[in-house]
Order: sequence, then structure tokens, then C-alpha cells
Amino acid sequence: MAAKDSPLKQFEIVPYSNTELGSYDISFTNSSLSMVITVAVITLFLTLTVNPRSIIPSRMQLISELMYNFIAQLLSDTVGDNGKKYFPFVFSLFMFVLIGNMVGMVPYQFTFTSHIIVTFALAAVVFIGVTILGFVNHGIKFFTFFYIPGVPFYMHPLLIPIEVISYLSRPISLSVRLFANMLAGHTLLKVFAGFVVAMPFFTGALPLAFIVALTGLEILIAFLQAYVFAILTCLYINDAYHLH
Amino acid sequence: MPQLNPEFFVSQLFWLVVTFSFLFVFLWRVSLPRIGNVLEKRERKITEDLTAAKELQAEASQIQEEIEKQLKQARTDASEMIKSSSIALQDKAQTELKKLDKELETKIDESAKAIDKSKSESVSQIQDQIHQITKLTLSKVASFNVSDDEIKKAISNSERSIN
Repeated sequence: MAAKDSPLKQFEIVPYSNTELGSYDISFTNSSLSMVITVAVITLFLTLTVNPRSIIPSRMQLISELMYNFIAQLLSDTVGDNGKKYFPFVFSLFMFVLIGNMVGMVPYQFTFTSHIIVTFALAAVVFIGVTILGFVNHGIKFFTFFYIPGVPFYMHPLLIPIEVISYLSRPISLSVRLFANMLAGHTLLKVFAGFVVAMPFFTGALPLAFIVALTGLEILIAFLQAYVFAILTCLYINDAYHLH
Repeated sequence: MPQLNPEFFVSQLFWLVVTFSFLFVFLWRVSLPRIGNVLEKRERKITEDLTAAKELQAEASQIQEEIEKQLKQARTDASEMIKSSSIALQDKAQTELKKLDKELETKIDESAKAIDKSKSESVSQIQDQIHQITKLTLSKVASFNVSDDEIKKAISNSERSIN
């Protein structure tokens, strides 16, 4: 499927090294490079812009504080006081996805969030963590999460499987949402980029203008998907504290 | 679709775990506490400044109250002073006036006396002259001497009838 000029070629993984750990291939690839760049950007930005002694922040520091307050507010709005413990994790998740998406918007940069295995791994961490949290908080009572009170008894044989399935599909919906958005956006950009080259004379300017507009939209989606990932994580954490 | 090619799944998972773990630990231990400290410090500074401002405001209003009190006191003092001094002045003026009145009265009395005196003197002179004129006239016209006493009598009679 991935022919030479396919719009999906951009998602191909190119190994830069041939490293093996045991029998596993852990080569450093363009995907790994993107992750390293993302982490470097986040850590350097959040560390270098913040001057711990400044009462009045610089503009760059203001951005760091804005992000901090944004996630802190999100957590306190959805989870409440219990949420403070999970702030570093939710913040890391949000920043990782956000900057990963943004790094992917740089031309010739690989978008690791467009790979289902990466997004699924992140979603699985959230899912497993939240499930463990639910059992720690409620013990065996956690299963009452699937029991909806105030419903006629004969509905339960139908509703409980639905609830269980919807719970188990959380990591899938969480990961596929991000993956599909990134995949679709980048593919669309590539398809229109192909039109720019393929169309005769100056008509190629039309798809080019479309690409410009689409890039803006993609940046919005990059932020939006990171936000959705973070807010759904918060909501799942909240569910682990308050069963219905 | 390269995403479904499991060839690099392990590699991607491995590097995801490495990078995300590093990111998580670094943010958790270094970056977030730093930002949190800065925000907390600023919050504390703001609340401190606000409480200080409130204290100062209270102090200022207290001072103003005191000033107003003092002003009020000063106003009442001043009005009292004005009142007392005006009364004193009035008293003084009255005594002065009385004194003046008395002096004037004595002067009037004196001058009335002087006037009376000069009047009676002039009257007696006039009487004398009348007396002499009468005597002279009588001596010239009737060529008889009349004693002074008779003339005096006649004059006083005529005076009486005039008066």
C-alpha cells in the first residue's frame, strides 16, 4: 500500500540504528527521534523559561505558568481535591501529546502520535492505572460501577454488558481518536500537497491555499486532541473516585 | 499502512517508555515544583501586599478620624473663643460707653452751668443797663430824680408782667 509517492509514506518508520535488546529490535528510528525532540522541547522550555526568583514573570515564563494553571484547573474542575496527586502525570501526558502533535506539524518531522501503537500504549497506561485506582479506592465494590441505579431490574441484563463493553473500549476510543485525527490530518495535507505539484500552470495555487488553511486547522486539532486526551484522563480518574 | 506493520512496534514501545518516563520523572521532580513554587510565592506576596495595604488603609482611616476629631475640637474651641471674646468686648464697650456717657453728662452739666452763669450775668448786666437807661431817661425827660430802689421795683414789675 505504501507506494513511493503514497500520502501514507510519511508514516513509514525509518530506523537510524540497528539495536537489539535480547531478541527484540529496539532500533532508534525517526519515531524515537521525534519523541526525544518532544521531550527535549518540553523539559528545556519548562526549565529555562522559569526563573524561580522572579515575582513578575517574563513572557516565556507566562506561557509555562499558563500551561501549568490550565492543567491544574482542568484537574480541579473534573476531579476536585483528589486530583492533585495525578497532576504530574496528566500534565506530562498533555504536554507529551501536545508537543508531539506540534513537532509533527513541522515539515519533514515524523508524527509519533499518528501511530496507533504509541497512542494505544498511552491510553492503556491510563486505562490500567485508572482501573487499579478504582480497585484501590473501592475494593470489590468497584464492580458496582457497571450497575446503574434507578433502572428497572429487567433492564440490567442488557445494561451491565453495555457498561462493561463501554468501559473496556475506553482505551481503544481514547487511542483511536488521537491516532485517527493525526493520520487523517497529515494524509489530507499530503494529498493536497500532491495536487499542488500535479495541477498544471498556476492552478496549483488553489490547493496550496487550502494547505495553508488546513495547517491552521491541524494546529488547532493538535491542541484539541491533546486537550481531549487530558480531559478524558481526568474524567476517568474522577470515575475511579466517584462510582456514578 | 505503516501503522499496522508490527515490525517496529517493540522499538516504538521501548522508546515511548524511555522518553515518557524521563519526561514524567523530570516534570514531576524538577519542572512542576519550580513552577508551583513560583506561583505559590507570587500568591503569598500578593496576599501579603493586600493585607499590608488593608492595614495601612485602616491606619489611614484612623488617622483621618483623629484629624476630623481634632478639627471638630478646634472648631468648637474657636467658636467658644469667639463667643467669649465678643462678650468681653461687648462688656468693655458698654463700660466705655457708660464712662463716656458720664463724662459727657458732667461736661453737659458744666456747660449748662456756665451757660446759666453767663446768662444770669448778662441778664444782670442788661438789668443794670436798663436801670441806668431808665434813670437817665427819667432824668432827661421828666427831670426828676428817682431813687434807684424805685426804678428797680418798676423794672421787676414790668419784667413780671412781660414774663
